Amino acid sequence: MILSISWKNVWRNKTRSLVVVISLVLGIFGGIMALGIMQGWLAQRVHDGIYKEVSHAQIHNPQFMLNEELQHTIINYDKVVAVLDTMKGVVAYSQRVKVFSMVQSDWAATGLVIKGIDPDKEKTVTEIYQTLVEGEYFGGNHKIPSIIIGSKAAESLKLLNYQVTKEKIDSINTDIFPQVLIEKLKRIGDKRFRKDKDFRLALKEALSPEEFEVHSESLIKYFSFYRMNTSLRITIQDKNGVIQNPVFKVRGIYKTSNSMYDGMFAFVDRKQLNQYTELNDNEIHEIAIISNDNESGAKVGDKLAEYIPENSTMSWIKLSPEIAMFNEFSAIMGYIYVGIILFALAFGIINTMMMSVLERFKELGMLMAIGMNRFKVFGMIMLESVFLSLTGGLLGMLISGIVVSVLSRTGINFGMWAEGLEAIGYSSMIYPIVTITNYISIAILVVITGMVASIWPARRALKLNPAEALRTE
Amino acid sequence: MNVIELKNVEKVYNDSEIKVHAVRGVDLTFEQGEFTAIVGPSGSGKTTLLNMLGGLDKPTSGEIIIGGTKVSELKGSKLIDFRLHNIGFVFQSYNLIPVLSAKENVEFIMEMQGVPSKQRYLRAKELLESVGLGDRLDSRPNKLSGGQQQRVAVARALASKPKFILADEPTANLDTKSTENLLDIMEKLNHDAGMTFIFSTHDQRVVNKAHRVILLEDGVVTSDERQTPHQ
Ligand SMILES: Nc1ncnc2c1ncn2[C@@H]1O[C@H](COP(=O)(O)OP(=O)(O)OP(=O)(O)O)[C@@H](O)[C@H]1O
Ligand SMILES: [Mg+2]
Repeated sequence: MILSISWKNVWRNKTRSLVVVISLVLGIFGGIMALGIMQGWLAQRVHDGIYKEVSHAQIHNPQFMLNEELQHTIINYDKVVAVLDTMKGVVAYSQRVKVFSMVQSDWAATGLVIKGIDPDKEKTVTEIYQTLVEGEYFGGNHKIPSIIIGSKAAESLKLLNYQVTKEKIDSINTDIFPQVLIEKLKRIGDKRFRKDKDFRLALKEALSPEEFEVHSESLIKYFSFYRMNTSLRITIQDKNGVIQNPVFKVRGIYKTSNSMYDGMFAFVDRKQLNQYTELNDNEIHEIAIISNDNESGAKVGDKLAEYIPENSTMSWIKLSPEIAMFNEFSAIMGYIYVGIILFALAFGIINTMMMSVLERFKELGMLMAIGMNRFKVFGMIMLESVFLSLTGGLLGMLISGIVVSVLSRTGINFGMWAEGLEAIGYSSMIYPIVTITNYISIAILVVITGMVASIWPARRALKLNPAEALRTE
Repeated sequence: MNVIELKNVEKVYNDSEIKVHAVRGVDLTFEQGEFTAIVGPSGSGKTTLLNMLGGLDKPTSGEIIIGGTKVSELKGSKLIDFRLHNIGFVFQSYNLIPVLSAKENVEFIMEMQGVPSKQRYLRAKELLESVGLGDRLDSRPNKLSGGQQQRVAVARALASKPKFILADEPTANLDTKSTENLLDIMEKLNHDAGMTFIFSTHDQRVVNKAHRVILLEDGVVTSDERQTPHQ
């Protein structure tokens, strides 16, 4: 009966309770969204880190780990492959040759790590083939071999150009860019700019300061393009220490969420690369392994280290401690946020409960007079507070649940800040994640908040003297 | 048999700047089945005396013994439990829990006593019928008249099977008809079930119904007489 009394007592002053409930709904909603975005972000970072960069485990010659030189290939390669082919938990693996190179375009040069891969095998391990923004992933028959580089490297090599072409002017969206602006753009002419800086300058001259302010970023994006099929001259040392200068043509440009990675690695077909490195087909620098999931991936890494001790095997946890940390602490930040919100809301609950207790002094005095003991009075008030906070909390969770389930499919675009985010390895599309465990933990936090917030008002109630409370004025 | 004994009970309120000697050296006994009115001018100490009888307030000196228990020496949860099991209360107002129906209000005290739910329900129904509210079991207090609310309070007081019922000015907020009605019900319960009632009042017509009238003046019992109830 105390349960029912408490529940009904909560709704005696509907307006007052609703104010608290609504503030809880908003607070919990905000907290869960923040938690969901945080977790979505980090989960994506972990996923990208594993499926685009380090994989679940990697095998190297221990010498190669210290000094990445061409001759430090994997020891007992045939045995390693046999182990990988039979071991449970190994879903796919990809053998790579890794060489450091100087890469030159006609306009600039940069240092890149070139990964010689089996294009089809690599597909089963990394998602690089899904991240092409331009060109294709190793297809077709070409006399000059193909190289796939990252968008950042393309910029460094001045392959990202800008040009106000006639086709682009014709297909411009006049809803977004006014006709006057288009006329002004035509004045720039069909000239090619190799630097973002130069094109920006040209735009600034052609447009009024306001137009430039509003449209420059989108115009720069719109008129930019990658110069494909450009020849790159690559400088590497072969197995015998002889300098080689092969030429590859850019036939694909990829863009992951990590621009540092995009500036560092390029991919070529291993067989074509080996024509210049003089390496044999069984001379491999790196084997990347994918397992069923992150957890079994870590186990596979540890097992392999036992089976092939002559090589160095590392799981993703060791390969990228940063990602492992994200994986581990992803929820904690969110919970801290929810905790701070609940802490603030607790004052609203305390205030409401206090008012409700003071208002009911005579009634509480009567209850204590007829024999309701302190324990029950305390319990009744605590229950009221828990009901009040749980109503707001559950409602807030319900709404967040619906919103999160929609956003987890559509994603939230943080494009505005994307450049900064991508530089530190985040993608600009975020798919919030809130787990059942999250909801349960938050519900428990809400109940605890309700309980703690009731202590002070309940103590105040217990201090009252029934004889005094009942004296009618 | 003596149900209640007061021995040289004194009450001095010390908490404000002026000392108030509210009850001075009262010696009284009440027996099973009495129907007693406590009367006296305002400020004479009626409420103070009833509160001490009900264990809501402590005498400054002297002792109060109910059914062999020294109530004036009980403390904390023992005292609350004693009240729950031995004393029925009817106050002038704020008697009922507003969010509960008449029936639930009566059941609530039995629930605190640990009476099983089936029994609770039957007894609440029976008691409300006996105070003439058999058709208002599910009404909330705010849907009942003042007189009906006081009758629910009487039913609630009876529900706990107390040794006696204390009522401090139970009719103060009632009109003539409701006053008469409530007194009739109390009298009937006293007559039929032998329930002991001690009540305070300012109303001469209520005093007339009592079997015993105690006059309190300035904290002192100045008269204590038995009478035949009359109109
Ligand atoms: N808590 C208190 N502190 C100080 N004095 C008090 C307190 N309670 C009551 N008194 C005083 O004690 C005296 C007796 O009061 P009490 O309420 O018992 O009188 P009463 O006979 O019930 O009066 P009424 O008929 O108006 O209800 C009064 O002078 C009153 O002012
Ligand atoms: Mg009084």
